[in-house]
Amino acid sequence: MPVSSHALTDALAGIVGKDRLLTDAASLASRAVDGALPAWIVRPESVDDVSRLLRLAAEERLAVAPRGSGTLMGLGNPPRRLDGVLDLAGLAAVVDYEPADLTTTVQCGIPLAALAPRLAAQRQFFPLDPLDGSSRSVGGVLATNASGPLRYRYGTPRDLLLGVRFVQADGTVTWGGARVVKSVTGYDVPKLMVGSLGTLGVLVEATLRLHPVPEAEQTWVVSFPTAERAAGLLAAILDSSLQPNRLEILSGTAAARTAGAAAVAVSFGSVPEAVTAQGEDLVQIARGEGGQVVTAEGDFWSRPWGFLADATVVLKVAAPPSEAAALCGEIQHLATGIGIVAGILGEAGNGVLHVALTGTLSAAEWESRVIGALRARVAPAGGSVVVERAPREVKERLDVWGPVEPETLALMKRLKSEFDPLGTLNPGRYVDRI
Amino acid sequence: MALAQKFLRDLEAIVGRDGLVATPEGRLTYECDMHTFYKGAPDAVCLPTSTEQVASVVRLCLEARVPLVPRGSGTGLIGGAMAPYGGVMVSTTRMNRILDVDLPNRCATVEPGLINLWLTNAVKERGYFFAPDPSSQMVSSIGGNASTNAGGPHCLKYGITVNHVLGLEVVTGAGEVVRLGGKVQERPGYDLTGVVVGSEGTLGILTQVTVRLLHAPEAVKTALAVFSSVEDASEAVSGIIAAGIIPAALELLDAPIIRAIEEGIGAGYPKGAGAVLLIELDGPRAEIETQARRAAEICRDRQALEIRVARDDAERALLWKGRKEAAGAVGRLTPNWLLQDAVVPRSKLPQIMREVVAISRRYGLVIANVFHAGDGNLHPLICYDDREPGQLERAVQANEELLRACLALGGSVTGEHGVGVDKAKSLTLQYAEADLNFMARLRRVFDPQNVMNPGKLLPSHPACGEAFQPAGTGRLPAGTWV
Repeated sequence: MPVSSHALTDALAGIVGKDRLLTDAASLASRAVDGALPAWIVRPESVDDVSRLLRLAAEERLAVAPRGSGTLMGLGNPPRRLDGVLDLAGLAAVVDYEPADLTTTVQCGIPLAALAPRLAAQRQFFPLDPLDGSSRSVGGVLATNASGPLRYRYGTPRDLLLGVRFVQADGTVTWGGARVVKSVTGYDVPKLMVGSLGTLGVLVEATLRLHPVPEAEQTWVVSFPTAERAAGLLAAILDSSLQPNRLEILSGTAAARTAGAAAVAVSFGSVPEAVTAQGEDLVQIARGEGGQVVTAEGDFWSRPWGFLADATVVLKVAAPPSEAAALCGEIQHLATGIGIVAGILGEAGNGVLHVALTGTLSAAEWESRVIGALRARVAPAGGSVVVERAPREVKERLDVWGPVEPETLALMKRLKSEFDPLGTLNPGRYVDRI
Repeated sequence: MALAQKFLRDLEAIVGRDGLVATPEGRLTYECDMHTFYKGAPDAVCLPTSTEQVASVVRLCLEARVPLVPRGSGTGLIGGAMAPYGGVMVSTTRMNRILDVDLPNRCATVEPGLINLWLTNAVKERGYFFAPDPSSQMVSSIGGNASTNAGGPHCLKYGITVNHVLGLEVVTGAGEVVRLGGKVQERPGYDLTGVVVGSEGTLGILTQVTVRLLHAPEAVKTALAVFSSVEDASEAVSGIIAAGIIPAALELLDAPIIRAIEEGIGAGYPKGAGAVLLIELDGPRAEIETQARRAAEICRDRQALEIRVARDDAERALLWKGRKEAAGAVGRLTPNWLLQDAVVPRSKLPQIMREVVAISRRYGLVIANVFHAGDGNLHPLICYDDREPGQLERAVQANEELLRACLALGGSVTGEHGVGVDKAKSLTLQYAEADLNFMARLRRVFDPQNVMNPGKLLPSHPACGEAFQPAGTGRLPAGTWV
């Protein structure tokens, strides 16, 4: 029998303490997910708290949304049910850091920005640089499979998460992976948890692979009159022995501070001699491709990406890397054609574009003329368009993740029902609203 | 379990007469992988040539509840590609085509039976390579590499196989054909590619693999640093990593191994040395020149006796030949050996090497070491002579003690060889019951009837349901644990 709401708040407070249970209107409003208001917010301080909270939620058939920094709570379909928010900001300790191992184990609520200085003191870093900023929590970055320009050299969460502790939907605390840089013991459970949006378990602790900070770094920006004109340079870099750590394409409002309508930004990180030598090679290739080359100022990559912050709709478009420049151009034309403004920053070397669109369209127009059109464009090559941010009325019209092949989707659904049969964790928010 | 004649006829109808091996002599060829300790011949071997054939075989076996064992080249070291319960083995050796090479997107799609090195050979003239390089790469298959998530010397810099697999086509244990991931580097939904890689054929049979290709680096530099002791060499390894240098490979070989190699193939390693480090740097020329200078300084600080830099490709190839054929050369040292593949955090390398010496003394057995020092992945070869009573038992105990020592330092049970039959029971050293239960349930999602490679990868566990019971008697070879 479900307990009364009064008994429930008592039970929640019994686990986390009264001051870590929030039920006031202002707090609840600030933690709404796609307009759905939770009835309570809890802020656990230990893994055991999380375990007890989820056990309670499962017993009471409640739906819970885990939350890190809250930056990307808009990712996903609107929740089918939402009772409470599990705010993990209180789990923010560095559990273990041995610089000589180039690994660290942290609690998942820790923001990237809080971890970075500890690592920097040892000339090391955790190379995930999501565009929406370093205030994001490690757990949130892992659960949303977030990455940024540095993925070209260092990979994505799947390459950097070595071990993970998570709490299953029934409260069972579980560990997968290892604390060392190389392990094939049993199934690679960390891979399953990356990008799973907390739908299979709540991430509470992560062992991360670290990298040494390159001694020197320099960025070059090569401007072009159109995005399509950047294709030659991108192909030439990919077909060379140059080893950039970032290889980005910028167009539209994202290229506002460059000399053209589009640009390619390339950075090298290495010993100073190798940065200089590779930069010289790059400049030569770039001029051969008709680009206008400048070296960027030091904060080029840490600047806030304003074009993203102001956007009405943000899409993550994935396509074969060789199509990145052409696709940027097509998106710009599409935007111009329907009277909206586009800014694109993309990991060109990986074929992943962050597309920010600003304008006034009806929900139906966003759905068919923008998102639907782009999905149709990238589908033949196996691409995808994920709607990372959109007004609620747009999100209600479509699946923000886009289609998944039926056989693969069937497997994913079996996984979800195996590990969360009651739909405790983020029901409705993941692919096909599972 | 003898297979019914009707079942064999159905198999033959799927894979053709030349795709079915059912004679006793023929089946015996498939009774073990390179870990010859574990033996179990399948009742039939299929050699399909297409995804459709694999799917039909899987569905037939599902219907008849006959266990399935996938096999690539059979070069595994864990008792993986063998059939402890008999049943049908699916060998992918005839599915060995390169289906697509897409250099602008730096990837290729291949069939699982393709030999690892053939892929690099197919693209190297155009300046590309496939990074995972297990020592078996001349004979092991890419499907086998992906199934076991194989490593290799160069995974220190480039990562293990999973970091290079973009997509898979798999026939699951439920008989479905699923396509996971692909050329596009992001897909919505769970990363099932990452889950299936390394699953050792317990979730399904791979029928296509899409892999990353990398552009060859501008320059490569290979050097051999000679030390009087393993401890000095281990300190040098820690020093190099701590200096922010990630070499392409950083391999440590100790005195018994050096002696075996020199008596065998002769790679030019100094015979009297206590240990050598094989250091390879690759990347932009200016980068590796600087890093090579620094690595040499670090080695000299750690009492290196000599540092030799390969002057050309021939010298480099010779230095590597010694390393890649080291395990084979051990036959000169000892009639029998056990191989351990555990991992320690790299900062614990000097400590674990002292422990290896202590265990060797305690058990009165030679332990030879050749391993991926840069990522802390040990490969001690515990030498014994099974003609001497008691030696095998001592070797098994020494092996177990060493494994426990690695785990006590925060390590992992296996770094790159995998679990198979060999290490299934050791998983409890690394994982609690809840963790193993999660894995068992994950397996059940892909393989609801427990027909895929039963007895491998996980210890038998309540969540798996009853251990697989085929019709008739099981025939686990004596001494095999499942």
